[in-house]
Amino acid sequence: MAAISFSTIQSSSSVRVLSSHPLEITPHKPLFLHRSHSTSFPSISSNPKNKSRRLFALVVVSSLKKLADAELVPVPGEADELASKFPSDSGVYAVYDKNNDLQFIGISRSIAASVLSHRKSVPDLCYSVKVGVVDEPNRTSLTQAWKSWLEEYIGATGKVPPGNQSGNTTWVRQPQQKKKPDLRLTPGRHVQLTVPLEELIDRLVKENKVVAFIKGSRSAPLCGFSQRVVGILESEGVDFESVDVLDEEYNYGLRETLKRYSNWPTFPQVFVNGELIGGCDILSSMQEKGELATVFKK
Amino acid sequence: MGVTKEQVEASLTSKMNPSHLEIIDTSGGCGASFAIEIVSEQFEGKKLLERHRMINSALAEEMQHIHALSIKKALTPTQWKQQQESISTPPSSQ
Repeated sequence: MAAISFSTIQSSSSVRVLSSHPLEITPHKPLFLHRSHSTSFPSISSNPKNKSRRLFALVVVSSLKKLADAELVPVPGEADELASKFPSDSGVYAVYDKNNDLQFIGISRSIAASVLSHRKSVPDLCYSVKVGVVDEPNRTSLTQAWKSWLEEYIGATGKVPPGNQSGNTTWVRQPQQKKKPDLRLTPGRHVQLTVPLEELIDRLVKENKVVAFIKGSRSAPLCGFSQRVVGILESEGVDFESVDVLDEEYNYGLRETLKRYSNWPTFPQVFVNGELIGGCDILSSMQEKGELATVFKK
Repeated sequence: MGVTKEQVEASLTSKMNPSHLEIIDTSGGCGASFAIEIVSEQFEGKKLLERHRMINSALAEEMQHIHALSIKKALTPTQWKQQQESISTPPSSQ
C-alpha cells in the first residue's frame, strides 16, 4: 500500500498539512488534512518569499479551476444519483452547508466516494459541493490544488473553513491507532489439525460478521484487488476480520480449501454473516451503487 | 501456457449467449489477465454474485490458466439499454 507522508511538505512550507501518522492514500478514502494551528495561517497568503513556490503551484495545477469559478453542485439524497453527479476522479473539493457557507476543503482519490461518506456522516453540513478534478494526480499536485483553494478562500474571507481548523474532527476519520491483526486459521502447518480446515473456515465466517480473505496482510495487501477491498471496507467504516491466504505457515492449504468451500475461484473473498458477498469487482460495483451500507448493517 | 482472448470469447459466447460481449486482454500478451463486459438474458433475476458464478463456471477450464479475471459489467439487456441511454443523454437536458 502506498504510504504517503506529508512530512516534506510540513517542513518546507508555512502551510501545515498535518497528521500524526503517515497518510495512506487508498482509493475512496478522504485524506486526513488538518492545519495544526490556526494562528499560523496569515503567513500563507502574504509571504513574499513564497513567490517562487507559488509559481510552481500555478504550473502544477494550471488546469484546476479556481474555487470561485467552480460550479456549486447540490448533493442528492440518493447514493446512486450521487455517483452520477460527482466524478470518481482524484481532486480537491469544497463542501457547503445549506446557507452556502463553506465548511470544509478536502482532497480525495475518489471525490464521489468522499462526498458520499461526508453526506452520510454529516448530512446537515454537506448540502452542496464544488469540485476541482486534478489531472495527473499525485501527492504534490493534489496538495497544491488543496492549498490553492484554501489560500483563495482565506484570501477572500480571512477565515479558515471551520472543518479545516485545528481540532475539528467532523470531516476526517481519525487514523486508526493500530490495525487489527490478521486472523490465523491454524496453530502452524506442522500441527496436526483435529478439525478439518473446511470446518474451521465455516466457523470463522459464521462467528464473525465480516471476514475478508485477502492476499497479504490488511496493513500491507500484496495484490491490487485485495488492497482495493481493504480500502473499500475501511472507507465504509466496517469492522472486519482479515485472513491472509498467502500465509503458508498459519493458513496452510487455505487457498484450495476456501475455493472449494465458497465455490469461488479467486481472491479476495468477502463474507458477511457466513455468506459470500463477492470479490473486488462485486464490492466495487456495490459501493458505486451505494448498496454496501445495507449489506453491512444486516 | 496462456489463454487467448478468442478462447474466452468462444466459451462465453457458446455458454452465455450474450447480446454484448467485450473482452480486454489486460495481461500485455501472456494471456493471463482479462477484463470483461458481458450482457446476457441469462442474468435476468440473478444477483450479481450469481452472475459472476455463471461466468466463472462458463470459464472453468480457462480459469485454471488465467491469473486475473475482472468482470467489469454483468448486465441484463434491459440494464444495458438503460445504461447506454444514461451515458448518451447529457444530464443537463433532463
